[in-house]
Amino acid sequence: MMEAVAEPKSVYLQDFQARDRSAEPAWWETRREAAMQRFEAAGFPTRKVEAWKQTRLGNVTQEHFRPAPAPGSLGGAAEQRLAVVDDAVRIVLVDGILDTGRSDLERLPDGLRVRTLAAALQEDGGVAEQHLARHADAEPHPFLALNTAFTTEGTVIEVTSGAAPEQAIELVNIMTADSAGVASWPRVLIHGATSSEFTVVQRHEGADGAAYLTAPVTEVIAEANCNVRLFHYVDEGDSGSHLGVIHATLDRDAQLYAHAMHAGGQRVRNDIYVNLDGPGASATLNGLYLVHNGQFSDIHTWVRHNADHCSSRQLVKGVLEGKSESVFDGLIQVAKGAQKTDAEQENRNLLLSPKGLAHSNPRLEIYADDVKCGHGSTVGQLDEAAVFYMRTRGVSEEEARGVLTFAFANEMLDDMPLASLQTYEREALISLLPGEETVRKLL
Amino acid sequence: MALLEIRNLHAEVDGEEILKGIDLSLDTGEVHAIMGPNGSGKSTLAKVIAGDPGYEVTDGEVLLDGNNVLEMEPEERAREGMFLGFQYPVEIPGVSNTYFLKAAANAIRKHRGEPEVDAAQFLKHVRERMQLVQMDESLLKRPVNTGFSGGEKKRNEIFQMAVLEPRLAILDETDSGLDIDALRTVSHGVNALRSPERSFLLITHYQRLLNYIVPDTVHVMVDGRIVKSGDKQLAIELEESGYSLFEEGSAA
Ligand SMILES: Nc1ncnc2c1ncn2[C@@H]1O[C@H](COP(=O)(O)OP(=O)(O)OP(=O)(O)O)[C@@H](O)[C@H]1O
Ligand SMILES: [Mg+2]
Repeated sequence: MMEAVAEPKSVYLQDFQARDRSAEPAWWETRREAAMQRFEAAGFPTRKVEAWKQTRLGNVTQEHFRPAPAPGSLGGAAEQRLAVVDDAVRIVLVDGILDTGRSDLERLPDGLRVRTLAAALQEDGGVAEQHLARHADAEPHPFLALNTAFTTEGTVIEVTSGAAPEQAIELVNIMTADSAGVASWPRVLIHGATSSEFTVVQRHEGADGAAYLTAPVTEVIAEANCNVRLFHYVDEGDSGSHLGVIHATLDRDAQLYAHAMHAGGQRVRNDIYVNLDGPGASATLNGLYLVHNGQFSDIHTWVRHNADHCSSRQLVKGVLEGKSESVFDGLIQVAKGAQKTDAEQENRNLLLSPKGLAHSNPRLEIYADDVKCGHGSTVGQLDEAAVFYMRTRGVSEEEARGVLTFAFANEMLDDMPLASLQTYEREALISLLPGEETVRKLL
Repeated sequence: MALLEIRNLHAEVDGEEILKGIDLSLDTGEVHAIMGPNGSGKSTLAKVIAGDPGYEVTDGEVLLDGNNVLEMEPEERAREGMFLGFQYPVEIPGVSNTYFLKAAANAIRKHRGEPEVDAAQFLKHVRERMQLVQMDESLLKRPVNTGFSGGEKKRNEIFQMAVLEPRLAILDETDSGLDIDALRTVSHGVNALRSPERSFLLITHYQRLLNYIVPDTVHVMVDGRIVKSGDKQLAIELEESGYSLFEEGSAA
């Protein structure tokens, strides 16, 4: 086979060079340049690239997505769902553009600072200059690099030492029916100072019919003993693509609880990187993907035990309906000095149809000797004996399947610490099920 | 007319014939016992009557009140008043016993054109029935059969039957593996539900059960056929002589 002789510049490099960069500080420009170069050098991954070999990127790499010139209009249903989390500090992006009117940054509780990315970039020596794109960008991820190169909209959250604001921060990202061809690059930087404790909810929802790309990156820096709860809810439109990154760096004794749910989208992939860098740090990653007929969903985790006495728990469940496909690819990496590591990983998949395809790849890389690491993965169908048992009690076949599916998936929602979001996510689950009405009575 | 009428029933699984022509007639208010050695097809018969899609009926009829049961879905049979107590009750993680019972009771009521159960009344009814089988109330909130001991599972079957009040209860080895106290409790539950409107088909391995629940008729099943029927005396003979007598007899 002949190699291609000269690679032309990508359309993204052309866009990058054509950008107006006048308002941006030099340090940010340098980081953007580096990211753009990384992207340009590697390009979009082919299916020969190990980390992307099972991800169905389809025409995402051929299309040329660009930021929306102006936000589209929200439908009534989307308008209804702007606020899900009770009493939250809220920031709303519509088609990737900040909507100040729908955001609510007033009434910030003590110890919590929330700014737009644009505002935070203007601060000399501030948290953005110290941290933005200095952690996540170590990862070779094409959409992460593009996000760093192109993001203009985003949120910078700082929680001061010892603060424990009760209000959650809810970041709402809505793609409208007008967003065909639109690229959205939301960027979130979260800095939790020593012993702070807080909750951030991110919701990504999109209208059906529009082929858009959203590639959000969330960078979390948790200082010593900080306790972060992150919720990530994705329900993109049936033609929308979501290729996102969550990247967390944990110092000693810091704790991360991350909960991700994929409820819809033509293709959704999340890479969740967790670096346990200080002794005693711990991370819980809970994931649930509900994959509708014709859709693709992918959760990649990268949990790295870089210090001793850290623990991590990963539990990811998937329900696949019709002809759909999913990937769970989970890394537990234990560095040489990371003794007394306690790491667990489990992935369970339920195929509602024989046409579903679930890939499950645990990856364990262990370089220390005094560790406890466990993993398990299953792909199965509903227990037919249980379906028959329920039917012999008068419950219809459809309802029996609905109830059993609900019970399987609901384990991921059962002890969610945020009741308003829990109710919301349960609805998303129930609406996927056969025998909806009966299942509703389970609650 | 008999409540349950089985005529020349043949059934197979994976192409292998298990039931080889069963005839049985059970009148309303009667208790019949079916006994037979391991693998003779007792559970198969129970599951075929209840509609397990894993078995294929190749010939014959099963009538409930003269209606063809074989054309009904398993849930329709249940709603028509049929109940199967499983030899091996199935665990259903994530679904509480209470929820399960309520879903079942409502499905049956809906079929009869009755309104849904009233929550308070239903709870009262459920509590009464728990006492009948001396089941611990904590089991109500637990997921169906999940982590239950063998005895708890069997009790739970009888408890479900007591709550749902079927016209025809088929109990597949509900007595197996029970200690004598549990056996007494379970038998007490069954006897308390005996009535002129209700019939039982007891499948058992052991004559001991029939000391507690006295049947009107005993059938002996060997190799997919009923080889002998008689009164309760037959069970006692069986206990003494074993099945070999019938096995030889049927081979001759
Ligand atoms: N689902 C199945 N798949 C394959 N073979 C089966 C299945 N169910 C039953 N059989 C076979 O059919 C025969 C009858 O089984 P069945 O369970 O009905 O017997 P049984 O009389 O209930 O026995 P036991 O006293 O052990 O409960 C056995 O040979 C059994 O192996
Ligand atoms: Mg049996």
